[in-house]
Amino acid sequence: MTMDTLDHPSQNSGSRGARRGGFARSKNADRLTRALVIIVTVVALIYILLPVYWMIKSSFQTNIDIRAQPPHWIPRQLTFQAYQDMTLVIPIWRYILNSIYVAGAAAVLSTLVGCSAAYVLARFRFPGMTICLVMILATQLIPPITRAFPIYSAIQSAGLLNSYTGIIIAYASFSLPFCVMLLRGYFMNNCPPDLEEAALVDGCSYFSAFWRIILPISLPGLAAVTIFTFLNAWNDFLWASLLLNQGEMKTVQVGIGDFSGEGGNVRYISMFMAACVTATIPALIMFLFVQRWLVSGLTAGSVK
Amino acid sequence: MERKKRVFCLLMVLPAILLTLILGLIPMFTSLGWSFLEYDLLRIQEHGTPFVGLENYRTILSDDRFLRSIANTFLMTGLVVAIALVLGLVLAHVMRAEYRGRVIVRVLICTPWFVPPVVAAAIWAWLLNADRSPINSALMDAGLIESNIRFLTDSSTWGPFSIPLLSVTAVRIWNGLPFVVIFLLAGMQSIPRDLYEAVDVDGGNLWSKFRHVTLPLLKPILGVLAMLLLITGIGHFEINYIMTGGGPNGLTDVMSVYSYLQAFSFFRFDLASAAGGMVLLITGVISVIYIRSQLRNEDKS
Repeated sequence: MTMDTLDHPSQNSGSRGARRGGFARSKNADRLTRALVIIVTVVALIYILLPVYWMIKSSFQTNIDIRAQPPHWIPRQLTFQAYQDMTLVIPIWRYILNSIYVAGAAAVLSTLVGCSAAYVLARFRFPGMTICLVMILATQLIPPITRAFPIYSAIQSAGLLNSYTGIIIAYASFSLPFCVMLLRGYFMNNCPPDLEEAALVDGCSYFSAFWRIILPISLPGLAAVTIFTFLNAWNDFLWASLLLNQGEMKTVQVGIGDFSGEGGNVRYISMFMAACVTATIPALIMFLFVQRWLVSGLTAGSVK
Repeated sequence: MERKKRVFCLLMVLPAILLTLILGLIPMFTSLGWSFLEYDLLRIQEHGTPFVGLENYRTILSDDRFLRSIANTFLMTGLVVAIALVLGLVLAHVMRAEYRGRVIVRVLICTPWFVPPVVAAAIWAWLLNADRSPINSALMDAGLIESNIRFLTDSSTWGPFSIPLLSVTAVRIWNGLPFVVIFLLAGMQSIPRDLYEAVDVDGGNLWSKFRHVTLPLLKPILGVLAMLLLITGIGHFEINYIMTGGGPNGLTDVMSVYSYLQAFSFFRFDLASAAGGMVLLITGVISVIYIRSQLRNEDKS
């Protein structure tokens, strides 16, 4: 490679085909690359979509059709029965409301606490700033399992096991590093400091400059971060299974486990699939809100 | 004015610091502390929690099941990082390219992002169920296999590899792929277009654009992403736990699942904490490297 490159110093960015100067050769190579990429993409899309398709398809089939051998790739008849029946077996709407409440409260709490910290960490220099930042960001890297047991005992001894309060605070704290990371990037990139400087000169206090000027113009960023943290909490299983696993208060991720009794979830499989679809829809709606923001948000926050 | 500013700053970070301490750092150190005690919930009444030094670590490190789970953790995480990054790079290019219908392709690639991991694990477990698997039936129809593959229950092994291990790994890649793709796509946005045009002028092809422009410029982001995937991968719990619970015969056991089962099936919080301590040790080393590189990036910008 080095020898070749020395021979053609002006074209050291070309590959073998390109370097020989043949325009046609380079075109051929491109065709091959494209074909490979398309094949990989098609295979990847099948891999990505198969379970989603299977879940949706099965949720509209009867138990017998789902278990047919060989499996029906295209359902022969569609029925909404599973969606009606699932509410008789588990209180799924109640579980969904629980999840919305817990994830929503945690997202709001986490964004509020996160944006105050992110703002001063983005804007000011003060003693202890670096240690605060490192502490908050490092917490994200602690694997959940290495703090699960003490948190479980602490919440138990505070009498908050199987209460909404316990899990809301827990979720808020788990999403906090992520909030601070993204919002700090957002404040640094999207809010010119002259804005609040003008307000400060006018005699505005630091807090009201933040509350009245910075927060209102940062609403898009705040909304996106809130939705991200909502999704985090919505998708969680580990903590919900530890901290909130009894009776009607369960979140939907733990609740759909009700179907799998002895011998797996075969008996109620169509209802189980319907419940899975139902548990996915709120996440899908939230995702559609943030998907435009995804790419720019990640660049602003974590990559930088 | 200066004093006021300082008070304001401290008040603003205080809630975040409190949450971080109470639910992040203190539990982590408590867990480390427990790993040096005897903390057996079944015997705590008469024994209490005496200090036993490194005894718990000695116990788990002589447990074949735990040793296997360490190997599995590394193997699965390694596979997830490598395959997700390669596949992610290809799909990020597909998401960036201009063609008709690309919005649909973009959304489809992101699908796993909004499917909750529990749901994903359960659906995949059903899809990989040996007797009813549509995958088996498709492979059978294509004449590729003669008998059903027991994706999650086959206990034959080739060295450290086994079919269940690869199956669970595939689901974990499925679950993590959209994040990788979006992260890479975000990184690719910042590569100036004229660099590609320069390759065009030199007569370079698509591969040389990737090899000489995209790859070198993405290197820092690939590094950060690999670190993140390593750290989250080593601590990964949900998909392994729901799909197989570590079985068959511990072939898909990972450190987090081992730790969870010690605590909540055998009530050995001490052994669970020690296993957690091992996870922390491994991720800690990676984290230090990661934070240092982050801080270095911070200084640059």
